[in-house]
Amino acid sequence: MPIGNTQPSVRPASAGRAGGAAVSPAAHRSGARPRRTRGGLRAERYAPYILVLPAVLIIVLLRLYPLLLGVNFSFTGDGAQNGTSVGFGNYRELFGDPLFRTALSNVGLLVLLLPVAVAIPGLLATFIYLRVPGHRFYRSVYFFPAVLSPVIVGAIFNLLLAFDGPLNAVLGSFGVGPVDWLGDPDIAMFMVVGVHIWATFGMALVVFLAGFATLDAALLDAARVDGASLRQVVWHVIIPSLARTIQFVFVTTMIGMLTSMFGLLFVMTSGGPEGSTYLPEYYIWIQQGQMNRPALASAASTILFMIMLVVGLLQIKLLERSGKED
Amino acid sequence: MRQRAIWSAVLVVGLALAGCGSASDSGKSTSSDGKLVVWDWKSGEPFAKSYLDKAKADFKKKHPDVEVEFVAQPFDQYYTLLGAAIQSGKGPDVMMFNGGGQIRDRVDALVPITEYVAEDKQRLAGWEAFSKDGKIYATPVTLQGYPIYYNKTIYQKANLDPASPATTWDKFVADCDAIAKAGSKCFALGNKEGVGIQFWMSSMGSTTLTAAEYDAWIAGKRDWNSPNVKRLFQLWKETGDKKMNSDGANSTAMFNDSFAYFQSGKAAHVMGLMSDVGHWQDFNEFLTPEKLGVMKAPVVTAGTTPSLPYDGGIGYAVAKWTKDPKMAADLARSLSSADALKSFYADAGAIAADTTIDVSQAGPAVATIVGELKSGKPALHVALSSKTIDLMGRLSQQLLSGSITVDEVVKQLAASDQAG
Repeated sequence: MPIGNTQPSVRPASAGRAGGAAVSPAAHRSGARPRRTRGGLRAERYAPYILVLPAVLIIVLLRLYPLLLGVNFSFTGDGAQNGTSVGFGNYRELFGDPLFRTALSNVGLLVLLLPVAVAIPGLLATFIYLRVPGHRFYRSVYFFPAVLSPVIVGAIFNLLLAFDGPLNAVLGSFGVGPVDWLGDPDIAMFMVVGVHIWATFGMALVVFLAGFATLDAALLDAARVDGASLRQVVWHVIIPSLARTIQFVFVTTMIGMLTSMFGLLFVMTSGGPEGSTYLPEYYIWIQQGQMNRPALASAASTILFMIMLVVGLLQIKLLERSGKED
Repeated sequence: MRQRAIWSAVLVVGLALAGCGSASDSGKSTSSDGKLVVWDWKSGEPFAKSYLDKAKADFKKKHPDVEVEFVAQPFDQYYTLLGAAIQSGKGPDVMMFNGGGQIRDRVDALVPITEYVAEDKQRLAGWEAFSKDGKIYATPVTLQGYPIYYNKTIYQKANLDPASPATTWDKFVADCDAIAKAGSKCFALGNKEGVGIQFWMSSMGSTTLTAAEYDAWIAGKRDWNSPNVKRLFQLWKETGDKKMNSDGANSTAMFNDSFAYFQSGKAAHVMGLMSDVGHWQDFNEFLTPEKLGVMKAPVVTAGTTPSLPYDGGIGYAVAKWTKDPKMAADLARSLSSADALKSFYADAGAIAADTTIDVSQAGPAVATIVGELKSGKPALHVALSSKTIDLMGRLSQQLLSGSITVDEVVKQLAASDQAG
């Protein structure tokens, strides 16, 4: 793209353009100077800043400013105390609220379940890569749920997991008593996470398959010639070769779990039973929308932001390190 | 090229600064002079058309030059959107509210309209749910109550007299045994959202608490340690323990899975609503009016008299930032005018706040409900704050699953009730 002093000579300053009156004096000044090139050079020096300005402004005004407002708001009160400073009152209330503590411990549970969420698409991708019978069929079928919206997925599993639903009917035919999948506080969270993994593993699977495409087939052949079992091939050849892909899937799956479970929760359990499936997002939504406690919700948002920040920074570190190893 | 970049930068900065300026401009109505903006979640639905037309016509008589704009918001986000509007001090002039906690939590953003609605006080019922500290904040449109519906066909199958359902709790439990033997559940219950306990508390309240306790409860003097209050929660637990409820209550949505369960004839009773959803008109799709009965709450505590628990269901309130509160209050009054409410009752299937409307066409269940309005009292759960209600929902699920005791439940609820 030609920029700089070749351009103004071809196209004179836009003083004559419609609506240009406001800046025309400035344009004239720089254009009328005898040492035009110097003015041009200075403008050129500013050009990059001006070009990034829209993006910076959008980030500052639409992201950072509201973020700071939210943090600021979390130190004010609700209702009658609206607008007055309450210090850390909201935060004290949050950590005193068993429901919020449940929400936080569920975040911990998600982190613990993360290896499972990564291992499932990893294993399935391995099988597809090793060409198990029907691998073409599975490759397309596994991706299907990834295109469904969480609300539809939630509604489907609501029917399947209902107390008088098909899953319990199947169990009943084996003589196993019905289980209240979504009504038992000890089970419900695992069901929601399970459905989330089912709904989203297709994307991770695709990433894994892309990773496999870069795998050196000669290594696999060599391992086979040396008589390695399947387990040994997976453990000693595939996993080390795919280290970066695995790390990437870890990062994206973690973000997905922390930020996009709301739809499923809303449809499948509404945070219940007994508040056992609350996540911070859902808590924020309830406090702001249903309880009319925007300041408390701001405080909860700030805490969620801090968690995400820590998780994000750790992940960036991890990615950087693996990048260096390469 | 460079000029263009400068121009677009100027444009972006200009837009951004303009955006900033208006965001901090608070305390104003969005409407101009001569126009009122109304927010609700009903006006978008087809049944609301004739209601709105009549309300608008009534308003036009009083203020011919004023334009009215209805903005229908999705109900599941209504209070979130309204919260944002209240936070910024800008929004509609008139807005719809559910009675009870939803409006009481937000009276800071409203104008008391007590003086403007004096003429309507006699004609309309349900003011209590829209009042706080003796001031009225909205005009009631519908009444929402919690009658116990029953399926007469199941009663016949169980050899019970459909014309005279049980009047005492012991007889009721015995009837439910008979119903269970005939292959049906006693209650269709959906408590996934924790709403089941609210209906339970209000439906059974008048026959479990003494009249004095009931009135004190509504007045805000709630004794959570009273044996009768505990009894309410014990009975709730008992219905679960005795398997009187439909299976998997904690994972069944009340709206509308539990009502569908009742409607399809799998359960003999349901604690339903009388307006909007889960009520006589909904059930009539499968349960014809002759098969649908409404019963009084069976007496739990000797010496109590059953009464229908009901409150104002929805109503229209006036925002404090509106320019002319009197004019906005006139619009709220028009939305509760006799003609408009008649349309609302007929088209939406709601018990309108105007008790003078003739409902004889709608079947015996409705006639029973309307007949009981005179002796009815405000519902117990409506008097609680949203926070306490939310907590009660979770505790009720724990009671059903057996992971908490009644004593612990009333202890936690008392603490929440006193804090709020």
